[in-house]
Amino acid sequence: MLEQIRLCGFGGQGVVLAGTLLGHAATSAGFRVAGANAYGAQARGGAAIAEVVIANAEIVFPHVITADLLVCYSQTGYDRFAAEVGGTHPRIFYDSLLVKPAPAGETVAQFGIPATDEALRQLGGKQAANIILLAAAVARTALIGRLHLATAIAEHGGARFRETNLKALDIGFRLGAAAAPEPGPA
Amino acid sequence: MARDLNRYLRPGVSTTPFCPGCGHGILMNIILRAIDELRLNLDDMLFVSGIGCAAWIPSPNFNADTLHTLHGRAIAFATGAKAFNPQLKTMVISGDGDLASIGGNHLIHAARRDTDLTVICANNMIYGMTGGQAAPTTPAGAISATTGGGNPWAPFDLCRLVIGAGAGYAARFAVTQPLELKEAIKEVLGFTGFGFIEVLSPCPTQYGRRNDYGAVTDMLEDLRRRCVTADEMKRLTGTERKDRILTGVLHDERNERNEMETARA
Amino acid sequence: MSGHEPAIMPPGNYYLTGNEALAEGAIAAGCRFYAGYPITPSSEIMERMAARLDEIDGGVFMQMEDEIASICAVIGAVWAGARGMTATSGPGFSLMQEAIGYAAITETPLVIADIQRAGPGTGQATKVGGGDLMQAKWGSHGDYTPIAMCPWSVQEMYDLTIRAFNLAETWRVPVFVMGEEAVGHLKEGLTVDAPPAVINHREEKGATPFGHELPDGVPPMPAFGEGEKLLITGSTHDHRGFRKTDDPAVQAQLTGRINDKIMNHRDEIVDTEAHAVDDADIVVVACGFTARSVLYAIETLRTEGLKVGLLRLKTIWPFPDDIIRTVCGSGRKILVPEMNRGQMAGEVMKYAGGDVIPLNRTDGRIIHPHLIMETIRGIA
Repeated sequence: MLEQIRLCGFGGQGVVLAGTLLGHAATSAGFRVAGANAYGAQARGGAAIAEVVIANAEIVFPHVITADLLVCYSQTGYDRFAAEVGGTHPRIFYDSLLVKPAPAGETVAQFGIPATDEALRQLGGKQAANIILLAAAVARTALIGRLHLATAIAEHGGARFRETNLKALDIGFRLGAAAAPEPGPA
Repeated sequence: MARDLNRYLRPGVSTTPFCPGCGHGILMNIILRAIDELRLNLDDMLFVSGIGCAAWIPSPNFNADTLHTLHGRAIAFATGAKAFNPQLKTMVISGDGDLASIGGNHLIHAARRDTDLTVICANNMIYGMTGGQAAPTTPAGAISATTGGGNPWAPFDLCRLVIGAGAGYAARFAVTQPLELKEAIKEVLGFTGFGFIEVLSPCPTQYGRRNDYGAVTDMLEDLRRRCVTADEMKRLTGTERKDRILTGVLHDERNERNEMETARA
Repeated sequence: MSGHEPAIMPPGNYYLTGNEALAEGAIAAGCRFYAGYPITPSSEIMERMAARLDEIDGGVFMQMEDEIASICAVIGAVWAGARGMTATSGPGFSLMQEAIGYAAITETPLVIADIQRAGPGTGQATKVGGGDLMQAKWGSHGDYTPIAMCPWSVQEMYDLTIRAFNLAETWRVPVFVMGEEAVGHLKEGLTVDAPPAVINHREEKGATPFGHELPDGVPPMPAFGEGEKLLITGSTHDHRGFRKTDDPAVQAQLTGRINDKIMNHRDEIVDTEAHAVDDADIVVVACGFTARSVLYAIETLRTEGLKVGLLRLKTIWPFPDDIIRTVCGSGRKILVPEMNRGQMAGEVMKYAGGDVIPLNRTDGRIIHPHLIMETIRGIA
């Protein structure tokens, strides 16, 4: 098993943190993990990309070569990376408020998740939308157990946002479990 | 070197490397005299020096741990050694070019951090070892190997420099004021924190012969005449003051002394 | 706790960056003094050391005024009894070079991590480079022989840093951990086992700290404050430390010994790893992050029937001349991909019998497996 995951969005959305939490969760679940980030010189507003490779054997090359899973927090990120998703089970999870999806290839399963909407509605702010979308993707793909992600959030997500992030995890898991893939193009 | 101080010298050392008339031998004597009067054990002391004539005062002469380092970096080496082993009573002895030109950054930061070091800067106002080039302490107008037409720039006032950087103690004496200098060294060795002593030490070989000092003793005579205390300075006319060098414990936060201000008053 | 240093991370699996792992490796190796100056992309090492040394009894962290002061403070602390290190990147590594020579001639054990970025000059501070390899070997003036490690993973940032400290102590020499931005900022799993074996330099009361009866021996090393009345100088010195700046015999003996103590023992220092080289028509010689791209490439190309192998240098200095002679013999093609303009390739050419083909990339990016595969298909 080798899962190549790319998360993309803008600086300030918590994209890098989402990738880091996924890495911690997969590590505690016993997987081999490698993660790399790329972001612009400015801490907020520039493009932010996080990559996580999860495997059950030694990871030779630690960057994403072809993403199996794209978690997308911005239109720009979607436009740049959606077409590159591949592998045997290509999937895209996107924030349905921020991204207008294009028709995907036949084998690509796309899931629109109202992460920012639900964060605003249930958590009173959009800050934890990163966790909601990540949790939805993790839940739907059964990548790792919920407990591992909860532990990662509690230990590495920052004490200030712990409660909010754990609520976001619940919301994301519910949304992910219920999510159905959108119909592909003709 | 006074015979009774020979026990502080490293076995195998027989002569100092200093030129006739150089003040560094006098300074070496005064430092050891201060240590002797304080009854300090050399085994508890570390002497750190940079590159240049003054750096040879402790290395290899002092029978203690001695660290002869890179040009300008003595304070940085000393900072590390002292930080890791605070039991080491650490003294930096080096020249003006070493401590204030190439090593100027380390000097001001050690003053800022109040690093527990005794820093003795032997100021001969010239690069002696390399052949008499101008230093940042060379007086304006002075002739050197690199300022044949007279030094166009003003020198650093080293005490004002370290006081400005936050030093809690700064003193200036010439080797012609041995008793006062010795007391200042003892004072700095007695407290914890950054203490800076500028010691005016003549260099007849490189400075004197280029600047109309005839005999090697002429520079000593000149320092004896020009070095005055703040009280003496106050009694002089404006014209007379120009020629004089203010000496004394110029700044001492612990005892609320500030001779810089006294002299100006 | 018996046999367990509480300062070391407890055994387990961690997910952290290469820079953080390097700092943890230093702590595990007994490093208790760090002096440094912030510089991208190495600053996380300094930040981690600041936090970790603060929790450890006897640990000292100093943020110095520049990189020159940093390495000088480390040398001072090492002679005061510490295991010490500093970390930096290209511009700071340049500033440290004079003091590296001082450490070499005074036989001061210390570790310097250089997290390489795209140079020269300020270059691209946040982007990866591999252009400091020759600087590690030749950066300071005069003749000396340092040791340099090339970690390719977060795990090796930890493991090879521990080894770097042990080598520094064994041979009384500065040792470099030549990380790269791509490994320093990579996050990966780190497995921490039981506390590692820590080697200390030899101590011997009353011994001469700068001389040895063997022309390639390593003398014992006392510390300040032990009553040894140490006489340390960066000038040429005799076995006791006395400056001998006119004596050709002393100069010859000292420079001979500080180089030969490493070169004559390189079998104990050099570390390489061969992957599928036995039947290979093409051998790729690589180090650091690039070697991971190569391994991925050759595993893929093997499935296509191409006979390619990898020789990975875990240590680059002293250079593994004998291993290159053996593995890169005539009849083979030797590809040397690196994130510089051919620094290692030139060295490989000195010893390889086969044709050496450099593959250089200096655009601030890693060398991707696709580029290596494409190149190998082109020369196969």
